[in-house]
Amino acid sequence: MKTGRVLKVAFKGLGKNKLRTFLMMIGIVIGITALTLIVSAGLGAQNRVMERVKKFGLESMMVFAGAGREVGQPTSGQPATTLSLEDATMLKQEIKTVADVAPFGRKGQSEVKFQEKSTTTTVFGVTPSWAPVWDWDAAEGDFITDEDMSNLARICVIGPTVQKELFGTANPIGEQLRIGSVQFEIRGVMQAKGTSPAGGDMDDRIYIPLTTFMRRVANVDYISAIKIRLNTSKDMAKTAADINALLRERHKLAVGTPDDFTITTPTEVTKMAEKVAGTFNIFLVLVAVISLIAGGVVVANIMLISVNERRKEIGLRKAVGARRKDIIRQFLYEATAVTLTGGVIGIVLGAIGAKILEAFTQMPMAVSWESVALGVVFSTLVGILAGLQPAKKAAALQPIEALR
Amino acid sequence: MNNNVIQGTNLAKIYNKGGGGEVGAVQNVSVEIRRGEYAAIMGASGSGKSTLMNILGCLDKPTSGSLKLDGIEVSTLTDEELARVRNKKIGFVFQSFNLLARTNALENVELPLIYSDKTDISRLARHALESVGLADRVHHNPSELSGGQQQRVAIARALVTDPEIIFADEPTGNLDSKSSLEIMALFQQLNEKGRTIVLVTHEPDIAQHARRIIQIADGRIVSDEVNPNPRVAEQEMSALLPKEVAHENR
Ligand SMILES: Nc1ncnc2c1ncn2[C@@H]1O[C@H](COP(=O)(O)OP(=O)(O)OP(=O)(O)O)[C@@H](O)[C@H]1O
Ligand SMILES: [Mg+2]
Repeated sequence: MKTGRVLKVAFKGLGKNKLRTFLMMIGIVIGITALTLIVSAGLGAQNRVMERVKKFGLESMMVFAGAGREVGQPTSGQPATTLSLEDATMLKQEIKTVADVAPFGRKGQSEVKFQEKSTTTTVFGVTPSWAPVWDWDAAEGDFITDEDMSNLARICVIGPTVQKELFGTANPIGEQLRIGSVQFEIRGVMQAKGTSPAGGDMDDRIYIPLTTFMRRVANVDYISAIKIRLNTSKDMAKTAADINALLRERHKLAVGTPDDFTITTPTEVTKMAEKVAGTFNIFLVLVAVISLIAGGVVVANIMLISVNERRKEIGLRKAVGARRKDIIRQFLYEATAVTLTGGVIGIVLGAIGAKILEAFTQMPMAVSWESVALGVVFSTLVGILAGLQPAKKAAALQPIEALR
Repeated sequence: MNNNVIQGTNLAKIYNKGGGGEVGAVQNVSVEIRRGEYAAIMGASGSGKSTLMNILGCLDKPTSGSLKLDGIEVSTLTDEELARVRNKKIGFVFQSFNLLARTNALENVELPLIYSDKTDISRLARHALESVGLADRVHHNPSELSGGQQQRVAIARALVTDPEIIFADEPTGNLDSKSSLEIMALFQQLNEKGRTIVLVTHEPDIAQHARRIIQIADGRIVSDEVNPNPRVAEQEMSALLPKEVAHENR
């Protein structure tokens, strides 16, 4: 029998018993809706991470002071005091793949005052290379210069969030503000950057020359981290190993002692984010798959019952010339038509649900061809598996059944 | 070419009874049906008529014996091949019509064709419905048709593949006398045009329409005779008409 004809027969069979078809479909619709939602949420989360990684820069690396630092995790315990400005200079000099370095110190929870207004923000001591390495410059006014560095100048560049909090819409350039007890002149306002890979507000910052920071604000002789720009995104592992070796040597770490710094590459950031998204996904996908299996069992059961109810029909079809495989195909197609239709409905509902969730919560959702394909594949698979047993049972009936 | 559509030799069908004994539903039957014949198989209830017909119609396999259909030995065919044979060479008409519910007349008649390699099945089905006088009921569902009309749809379904032979098991069993006569008239028309028909019935009045009557009892043929004066259903119908009218006017 031609496929078109079998399909017609299968769909007609379903149309004739709408309640039965609906009952068979409902579980699949729910399962595929859940699956679509979950996959969209997972992909949305992954996309967001990828965006952030791109913001961080694919040809970049980070060296943090202190061991075992993870992205997004606050440094635990005492701050590491071993990473120096000299280290940064040497990295740039000694390692060929390192194009530029941006060493910086940071001090969180610093009080900043302008006239009567005050706010708490993070102060960053940076070098002029901050701008090219992060690809992040002043939007208005100017950024920190080499001169500022050697003069220990008391100038600063503020982030848009700080600007908004202290100045509203007024022009802050040229104004004086106080960080702790030290007075600074505002030189510029940074470009807005939004959320960091760790999820913090990257615009709630004040930048001052690193030298000024070390001497006058934090009063330390070490730095917090070095952002490194590479010539290439290839061979990251090799570069990371070179950096590691150089720093260990400079810090005089004996063989066997752990690193007193942490190197983070974008690959690592991506991997970690994927790991987090992955565990979240696998668990939820499992829930969706279980609900699909339950839906499949319902389809199989209702189909088995319907085979009993339809003995006469099957017998008659065989009496007029249907072969075993014609009957098998009819029932398989019926089951698959049910689950696939349910699947398509589920995909549509899931996509709509994803859009609604995205609008009402901050959850990023990505309805992609992957989730559509997954829905189609899963619902077809469930249909074939659920239809197999009923189809075999139907095909095994003898034609004389039609006469009884 | 072979003149026998059906040639059964020493056919038997033995069923095992629950208590361990055996029932010979058909025992040692040899029978042949020639092309263009109109034969009735007659006998009491339980005599084995249906069992025999199912064997001759390749719906059921005999326990032993040989069966040739159109010169081909069918007792050794696979289920697949038997399905082909039923599709191409045999048409069935059942007592309870066996139409698909919620499926219109046209699609019911198309049923055997969807399992054939024929194209243009809708035209063939329409044609078959016309030949049984239901051209104006093509899109009616069984529930919208009288018993007689339903049986005519079933006959159209049996005819639509242009089979070598039509088997009808108690085709009038569920019909009133007028509808029964209509069906009998239809069979006689078809037979006059050369169609081979085997009719199974326990009613002598119905069997009398055939041109040959085979009597069976306890699974064996007890007589096999030409019916010298078959009843003519058309005539009986015209005789019935005034009576019916009188009946309705009362
Ligand atoms: N599947 C079966 N299993 C066991 N015995 C059966 C089976 N089918 C038929 N029989 C027996 O075979 C015998 C013949 O049955 P069959 O149906 O052929 O009779 P019939 O002449 O068609 O009767 P009726 O006029 O009532 O239809 C009966 O005794 C019946 O009980
Ligand atoms: Mg019978």
